[in-house]
Amino acid sequence: MSDSYVIIGDGIAGASAAETLRQEAPDAEITVLTDEGESLYNRILIKEYAKGKLPEAPISIHQESWYDDHDVDLRLNTVVVDIDVANDAVHTHEGETFEYDSLLLAVGGTPQQLPVDNSDADGIHHFWTFQDARNIKESVEDAERAVIVGAGLLGIDFAAICGAQDVEAKYLMRGDAWWRYALSEEGAEIMHEAMRERGVDPVFDSGVDHFEVDDDGHVEAAVDPNGERYECDFAGVAIGLNFNTELVEDTSIETENGIVVDEFMRTTVDNVYAAGDITTFNDLVLGEQAKNGSWGSAKEQGTIAARNMLEYGSDEFEWVSSYSITHFDFPFLSFGHPTIGDESVEATTAEGEWRRVALKDGKVVGGVLIGDLSPQSAFKQLMREGRDVSDQTDLLMEPGFSVDDLAAATEQQ
Amino acid sequence: MSLRESNRRMRLRRTGIIPADARVRHYDELGEETQVTVRELAGRPRTAPEADDLDDGDVVKFTDYYEVRAR
Ligand SMILES: Cc1cc2nc3c(=O)[nH]c(=O)nc-3n(C[C@H](O)[C@H](O)[C@H](O)COP(=O)(O)OP(=O)(O)OC[C@H]3O[C@@H](n4cnc5c(N)ncnc54)[C@H](O)[C@@H]3O)c2cc1C
Repeated sequence: MSDSYVIIGDGIAGASAAETLRQEAPDAEITVLTDEGESLYNRILIKEYAKGKLPEAPISIHQESWYDDHDVDLRLNTVVVDIDVANDAVHTHEGETFEYDSLLLAVGGTPQQLPVDNSDADGIHHFWTFQDARNIKESVEDAERAVIVGAGLLGIDFAAICGAQDVEAKYLMRGDAWWRYALSEEGAEIMHEAMRERGVDPVFDSGVDHFEVDDDGHVEAAVDPNGERYECDFAGVAIGLNFNTELVEDTSIETENGIVVDEFMRTTVDNVYAAGDITTFNDLVLGEQAKNGSWGSAKEQGTIAARNMLEYGSDEFEWVSSYSITHFDFPFLSFGHPTIGDESVEATTAEGEWRRVALKDGKVVGGVLIGDLSPQSAFKQLMREGRDVSDQTDLLMEPGFSVDDLAAATEQQ
Repeated sequence: MSLRESNRRMRLRRTGIIPADARVRHYDELGEETQVTVRELAGRPRTAPEADDLDDGDVVKFTDYYEVRAR
């Protein structure tokens, strides 16, 4: 049995794997390598720090002493530059080599830059690390006008930060609605209104053609493809992630918009596993390959990967993920895969309450809830059970919907 | 199971000040049953059995910040 474990990445996936390995294999040698300068922190709370709502301290999850106490060898500021799967070793930027019996890649993604002129100017921010949050906070506190690009779950964090820091912002969107792949205009309008109330103005059929900079190289304006110019001294760009697969490019590890793993989180190389945002995994709920980009899923994948590193086949990943937005006085939640499917149903269930459920072959594959999150568990249960609800989709839109409302005849499996 | 084998009940009190030594939990970190409890208690003068992934003194980030009081 393997007893030397190397984990690349100390985000929630890597750290939960380290915790599980230590719990279940008290004698194992565990090394965690991270290119960040700090150990595990709460990535989903750094936006609250940038908003000025939270101090730094509660965002830390594992102090460095945690690693000593659990006999885990943590190496900060350590970039892994090469993986040698033939010799079971990884190499770092400083020429150090770490050999392993079993390796976990929990390397996540890196925010994409806009492919336009001046996209790397001062004052233009991307958002992934705690250090990004510190830079964003400092920059936004001095700003008067902002531009935000990227009409998705991370872009709206920039909107909330500008709102909380009293910075007037233009939110430039390519289509006619925020997160148009998951919401219709009606649902999105609830979000637009919440942004407007905070001084963030959505601008539709827009985007960025290029940024203009002043003599010091600081962003001064964004010009959209229609030629409209939006002055700004802060810009937040959140247009998606590049998954950090370059490490495995020269190996036999399969990639497909991430690192391909089975339901046990094992890659195509027997003693190499992956977990978290980086994976393209065999989704047992969906019955096909999928990607998740959420905290809960990354944590669970780290735990499952660790168990299978100890004993392959011992635990499989079967999970319906969810992701909430808590910036406004009403809650928002997306679950499963709301942007896929061949059909959808949606309804306004009360004032300010809206929901949309995406279906594929008559089964729920994901959705969005705004205002009323109470059907969250029922919809997740339907997904897990793979229930065919094609004849009763109108029931899914009933305000107090519960799984028991569906006719027993639709039960499958 | 996310309910403790204790008789303690918890409630959530809206809070604006977050002490540096508080443990702050985001809604998305909580188990599904705890999420249901948080939704039911947030902003309401109600109590529920204590959830096992929350402790007295924790702060939960939902649509606002809420302090957990468990007795
Ligand atoms: C601002 C923000 C807000 C978010 N809000 C939410 C939310 O509200 N709810 C939710 O569910 N999810 C949210 N997410 C998403 C969630 O944080 C991620 O899905 C989750 O943290 C992914 O964890 P991970 O461990 O897979 O990857 P990461 O946390 O990205 O960790 C990967 C680590 O690997 C390191 N690394 C990469 N390459 C190397 C290398 N070559 N050598 C050494 N180290 C390397 C990286 O620096 C990083 O530290 C948010 C994300 C961000 C950025």
